[in-house]
Amino acid sequence: MKKIVLSSVVTALIVFSGCSKEPAVDTKAQKVVAPVAQEVQAVQTETVAPENSVVNSNSNEMSMADIENKLPTIYFAFDKYNITPEMQEKIDAAAKIGNEDDAKSLNVKLEGNCDEWGSDEYNFALGLKRAQAVKKALVADGIDASRISMVSYGKSNPVCTEHTKACWAQNRRVNFKVLP
Amino acid sequence: MKILFSLFIFIGVLFANDATIEVIKKADTIPSIAVEDASTSYDGTFKMRFFKTLIADLNVLSIFNVDRHYRISDFDDSRVLVDNKDMQYVLRYKAFERDNGSFNVSIKLLQKDAIVFSKDYSVKNNDIFMFVSHAIAYDINQFMGKPSVEWMKRKVIFSRITAPLKSEIVVADYTLSYQHIVLKGGFNIFPKWANRAQNAFYYTAMDMAKPTLKYVNLKTGDVHDVISSDGMMVCSDVNSDGSKLLLTMARNGQPDIYLYTVATKRYKRLTHYSGIDVNGQFMGNNKIAFISSRLGYPNVFSKTLDTNEVEQMVYYGRSNVSCSAYGNYIVYSARESSNAFSQNTFNLHLISTNTDFIRRLTATGVNEFPRFSRDGDAILFIKNYKGQSAIGIIRLNYNTNYLFPLKYGKVQSMDW
Repeated sequence: MKKIVLSSVVTALIVFSGCSKEPAVDTKAQKVVAPVAQEVQAVQTETVAPENSVVNSNSNEMSMADIENKLPTIYFAFDKYNITPEMQEKIDAAAKIGNEDDAKSLNVKLEGNCDEWGSDEYNFALGLKRAQAVKKALVADGIDASRISMVSYGKSNPVCTEHTKACWAQNRRVNFKVLP
Repeated sequence: MKILFSLFIFIGVLFANDATIEVIKKADTIPSIAVEDASTSYDGTFKMRFFKTLIADLNVLSIFNVDRHYRISDFDDSRVLVDNKDMQYVLRYKAFERDNGSFNVSIKLLQKDAIVFSKDYSVKNNDIFMFVSHAIAYDINQFMGKPSVEWMKRKVIFSRITAPLKSEIVVADYTLSYQHIVLKGGFNIFPKWANRAQNAFYYTAMDMAKPTLKYVNLKTGDVHDVISSDGMMVCSDVNSDGSKLLLTMARNGQPDIYLYTVATKRYKRLTHYSGIDVNGQFMGNNKIAFISSRLGYPNVFSKTLDTNEVEQMVYYGRSNVSCSAYGNYIVYSARESSNAFSQNTFNLHLISTNTDFIRRLTATGVNEFPRFSRDGDAILFIKNYKGQSAIGIIRLNYNTNYLFPLKYGKVQSMDW
């Protein structure tokens, strides 16, 4: 009896320790950069303004994308919208970036999302509560509330569609979108 | 001990007449019916489609044992086909096209060679043949004196996700064999019929600065904004005369239920809990049912419109995420498996506010978004399994379920 209990505890520990959440920031970042870069090149060829102003608008566009790349994706547990200590550290880092000089004038939209389980009306609300939890944490870290807007997409904006626990974990998230 | 036991049995038998108790009908006690095609127009493919639709509708009525053999006969024959001589009923129909392109069907219901019921139907063209089939099944059901299946003739409106943040709003018949896209492009969700006549609907437009509830008049094509809200905006229910709406709005990111009066454009907040309150449903008796996470997990509650009294409706299950109400009955979707680490099962359950019984309506898969028909006879729901969506119908009084798969996309939400 003892042996069975011990081996099942060990198995459980192994299973639970294997569940790490891998942020999907890198792939998302690549998706965002390309369109912004193209926009900038068009401005360069068409403008007749002096070089200085062109260089400024260039660097402004580039840094918005840069800033968005640096911002994390916040993940949540199944059916929950509370911020875990691990995610709190990411939010603290995001708030720091938001208060730096080149980001001070920018606003952010928090997009709440869910995995595929549950009715969509409830999931829209859950996504929104997740966005709201991140907003509260950002405000506590010194970001002005008027710079933050929120939207929820429920389960309609998945980053992956496999029916696996890794994919569901990736979808239970809040994304940061930088706005001018 | 014996006395206690017999007392329990006695009390159990007292609560016999309730839709929450399962009714099992044996197949051999219902009459048999065969269908004879006496059509004089149309090619073989179309005739087979119409025949199959009619067979499916007669099956859904759940009052006949339907013979599926395709047989051809003459409309004016005085006797049924020899192969059908043992059938209790024979439905003989003649589909024909007139010069103006209209689609016409004449039917005769024969009982032992005697015509007991006959009727003629006509529609503009044969693209909407399925509505004629539904009307035929409805009339035969009426003739047989069974509870109304008016929902069979009604249109379903649903939103279908075609890609992340892209959707279409579609109007269909209850089997999804007729589908007409009424709104394409963008991200528009949660469609809801605005009235009994089904000539207008509400939906949420997500592509705007704030989620906005819009009203569409299907006759004129007119679209106008009703109300917007930061974060979230859903029309959860419309009352029976279309004068009031139950909305889920999220001022400051806080989702709550509001009662909106269409004529005055004023709204009143109904829930005040700081967590999630969604999916308000009119119950009659000045009450609503809704989903709330106030106990730490989503569950079904009810509330009177005038006071802040909230009553818990379901004392079973750990996650009851969506509900619909009809009179004293509430149907809800309950998560029945453990958690984030496996395929989940969501099943539909029916409770009555008058009794303590719960009846489970589905057995497997992910069954969500239940919606009562207007007459409370049937429940429409969405079944998602391995990425494929289907619309399901449960006939409550016959304990039968039917599924109609969707060829592409996932159903996001629907109404009928």
